[in-house]
Amino acid sequence: MTLLAGQILNGIATGMLYALMGLGLALIAGILNIPNFAHGALFAVGAYLTVSAINAVGNFWIALVVAPLGVAVLGLVIEYAGIRRLYAAGHDYQLLFTFGLSLILAETIILIWGPVGISQLPPPILRGGIDLGFTFYPKYRLFVMVAAGLLVTATWLFLEKTRYGAIMRAGIENKEMVSLLGIDIHRMFTVAFALGAWLAGIAGALTAPIRGLSPGMGVDMLGIAFVVVALGGMGNVLGAIAAGLLIGVAQAVVAAYWTEASVAVIYLVMAAVLVVRPQGLFGIR
Amino acid sequence: MSWRTVAVIAAMVALPLLVRPALAAEIWIFAIFGLGCNLLLGYTGLLSFGQSTFFGSAAYAAGWLLKHYGVNVFVALAAGTGVGALSALAVGYLCVQRSGIYFIMLTFALNQLFYFVAYQWTSVTGGEDGMPGIPRPAMLGIDFSSPIAYYVFVSLLFLVSFWVMKRVVESPLGKILQAIRENETRAEAVGYDVARFKLLAFVVAGAFSGLAGVLYAMLFGIVPLEAIGFVFSGNVVFATLIGGSGSLYGPIIGSVVFIWLSESVSTVWARWPLLLGVAFVIVVLFFRGGVVEAWSRFLAWRFSRQRT
Repeated sequence: MTLLAGQILNGIATGMLYALMGLGLALIAGILNIPNFAHGALFAVGAYLTVSAINAVGNFWIALVVAPLGVAVLGLVIEYAGIRRLYAAGHDYQLLFTFGLSLILAETIILIWGPVGISQLPPPILRGGIDLGFTFYPKYRLFVMVAAGLLVTATWLFLEKTRYGAIMRAGIENKEMVSLLGIDIHRMFTVAFALGAWLAGIAGALTAPIRGLSPGMGVDMLGIAFVVVALGGMGNVLGAIAAGLLIGVAQAVVAAYWTEASVAVIYLVMAAVLVVRPQGLFGIR
Repeated sequence: MSWRTVAVIAAMVALPLLVRPALAAEIWIFAIFGLGCNLLLGYTGLLSFGQSTFFGSAAYAAGWLLKHYGVNVFVALAAGTGVGALSALAVGYLCVQRSGIYFIMLTFALNQLFYFVAYQWTSVTGGEDGMPGIPRPAMLGIDFSSPIAYYVFVSLLFLVSFWVMKRVVESPLGKILQAIRENETRAEAVGYDVARFKLLAFVVAGAFSGLAGVLYAMLFGIVPLEAIGFVFSGNVVFATLIGGSGSLYGPIIGSVVFIWLSESVSTVWARWPLLLGVAFVIVVLFFRGGVVEAWSRFLAWRFSRQRT
């Protein structure tokens, strides 16, 4: 029972990270209308930058702020120098471009940080665990749960309660109309891509002390982010949270009894949901 | 025979003289794989980023039969083609109900499902080490252990596949698929069950991918885990695009360029996926029309220089 409770908590923590990834990807897919195959690579870059920043300044909290900002800047450059030229091209070329980028980023990670995995400790204050009454639980994972929850909430508030967020949601619905109203749609595209990249970078930074780092971490996360968007829909914060938690908890519970199947189960859950609900959890488009 | 068909046959004869027979065989195998991808991308307008699902599943299934049951080549080919079609039916059923970016993401996510099953099911697939020891049994008295004999066999199968695909795209079915590519809403309005035709295209493409997968397994005697991985799916999309999608001959050009490119690059540097990624980016940013357009641009450039 304790094992199961612990695993469910683990599932909630990773599920919130999945939700962050899916949210960023959904923003990019919804607003720019491109399939961003580099999203996983941005996640990995976020994790590696965090480790380098911790080694450079010796402070986790500064790294947690700086590294995702670095990823956001990278996203800014990618959108400005490459993706901007591909809006008129089809999905096939957009896919090939972002896929090429993900190969470049993944290989660059190997060139800079080496092919072997790296482990990263949580900051001293978050090491060790807390007795929750029914189970003893690592502090860092509780922190991740809260931090990811706050970030998702902040993104939701931004999209729902601010003027620019409302414009962005309108952009998902109808780009032409937004453009006709005199809003600089290209700047909105750049902002959306940078914001999505920033969310991926934060997810990477938060993941580093949980799972460690390896060059393949980006691709694994990419598939999961796709699942979150396929199930939760685009521009739907609630959908991303529900989908993230669903697959996160399913994965953690299965891992307790049948470790080998713990990754495949993410995709099996998605397939099962799609058999029953082809349009995803909340039936958008 | 059109001049194009003559050119294909001439290339078939010339290739093993220019490169190793194994590499030449790989080119035609990849071209069969590309034919399937092209039916989806070029003729139906469906961008599938999960074609290696069918390629890899077929390679594993046929490899298993060849290795443990000693089946003959025809049974292996039939089984692989069937597995390719069946896995495409299952994957396609889930994917064709969504469109646009959702569709692309789903093909990729389901590719990941098959990949992780292959990765963990080590007793059958060998996991990361791949499934080695796949024989290439003799058939009708022909010894396929000779690379050139196997090359001839592969290229003949390519010709058959090419002919079948030509018949498919020129049939009423092919016209309906092209109508879906041009205007899905309109095809629906005219009364075609768009989802069912998309699924049918998926199954046909899956069968071609499956055939290619079996030939690949027999060529190298091993099914590497990469054969069901996403990079393989990306490669076939890339090959189809650089050849020029929507033309039956596109996958041939794409396959020649891609296999030759990756072969020459992979021997240069261990980090060759980096160069592959750079190639993808450059092609997308500067040569979006594929090799055919790049060639005509080159001719125009030559022409303008001669005039000045």
